[in-house]
Amino acid sequence: MTRNEYDVIIIGGGIIGAATGYYLTKREQRVLLLEKQYLGSGSTGRCIGGIRAQFSTETTIKVAMESVELFRGMEDEFGFSVDWFPSGYLFLAYTEEKRQAFLKILGLQQSLGLDVRFVEPVDIRRRFNYININGVLGGTYCPTDGQADPFFVLKGYMLGMVKGGSNVKTHAEVVGIDHHRSDVFEVAIADGDKFYASKVLNAAGPCSKSIGEMVGIDLLAEPERHESLITEGIEFKAIPMIVDYRPDGCYFVQRTTGQIIGCYTPEVQIPGTDTGSTFEFLTEMPRRIIRLIPALESVAILRQWAGSYTITPDGNPIVDKTDIQGYYVSTAMCGHGFMLGPALGKLMANFMIDDSWPYDMSEFAYKRNYQRDTEVLG
Amino acid sequence: MKPDTIICRCEDITYQDVLDAIQMGMRTVTEVKKAIRAGMGPCQGRTCGRLIAQIISQETGKPISEVWDSSHRPPLMTTPMGVLAGGHCDEE
Repeated sequence: MTRNEYDVIIIGGGIIGAATGYYLTKREQRVLLLEKQYLGSGSTGRCIGGIRAQFSTETTIKVAMESVELFRGMEDEFGFSVDWFPSGYLFLAYTEEKRQAFLKILGLQQSLGLDVRFVEPVDIRRRFNYININGVLGGTYCPTDGQADPFFVLKGYMLGMVKGGSNVKTHAEVVGIDHHRSDVFEVAIADGDKFYASKVLNAAGPCSKSIGEMVGIDLLAEPERHESLITEGIEFKAIPMIVDYRPDGCYFVQRTTGQIIGCYTPEVQIPGTDTGSTFEFLTEMPRRIIRLIPALESVAILRQWAGSYTITPDGNPIVDKTDIQGYYVSTAMCGHGFMLGPALGKLMANFMIDDSWPYDMSEFAYKRNYQRDTEVLG
Repeated sequence: MKPDTIICRCEDITYQDVLDAIQMGMRTVTEVKKAIRAGMGPCQGRTCGRLIAQIISQETGKPISEVWDSSHRPPLMTTPMGVLAGGHCDEE
């Protein structure tokens, strides 16, 4: 191989690209990862670092459980901490309908071996005495869910790739993919360099639609804006990720740094890749946090920012090969890229080499019925 | 500067930590921040941002204007949640 020839070219330096590149490198593939800005500059670096296996469909639960295992092992694997901490996720139901929905999903989760339980308001009161349980009809709690620092995870994958002989190129925006020869892709970046590989992975998150268009593929993946904020650090109480399911709810967790970090899902979706911040969020999010934990009223906010969720109509990612031989996609994580990323990276790396999945992945297929027929958690 | 000179006081980041991040390939204040948390504390880089820009500039030979890319985000100063939530939190 010459200097610019690789086994696989990955487009996108977020968790998906980095994890897939890492596992491909472990299987002795020579990988080139191209990132427009720097690692984590897109959605991964803007996420709040939550990791959970409490999902509502079989494939996602399996992938997420595998991811949790991988996060747990990262400190040993990388030789440094990624700030993994099993703070747990607590989902709160405020309507009877939601309570019933939780109970139904709980059965599926438990049947797949997830350590998750239903908690009555009195249990919540006992265990997390700082939570205001007014109106709460119960919830589900999974103690093995947790959190990690996205940048430390990316660093681990990047160092592993480089150590294994792969190449990570940042500030390298892909501007064109030429596929006139059926067995090779020519990938051009903005400064004029060209790279060659027989396999390409589109892991470009919010930009994956335009990277797909470069080879004539139309991905049903549209970005929308989500805002977040973080506070100063306070005494570490291991506050779990509390997910308030009211229409004006929110979710937040205490990081291992003692800081409170959280988001809410806007009632009206804001399409596009704009990552500006709004006064509405800055005033509304604290109200929702204080309503759940009144004692946080005096805690100061350090920063508010925004990032993109890349959404499909049915709320499931697209992780598959495509009609074009050698062109793969792993994108549209619908806000779950960081938590699903390690397992999806491993699964996709193996799929790109072996052309088979260890279990049914049709929920994430490129060609599927994208109409939503089941309720997707969060 | 000595290797153990503190550059970011909020997060206890030393001169050596910054050099290590640059060695790892970080080229801008934002990249260094995200690699080692320099500038993520209560001052949000108001104290260390310029220092880090100078170090990157010295190490890479790039002008400060090219490496000092930090974005500024609300709130302008640390503000208690109760103040921001304003009159909205009295419903319960």
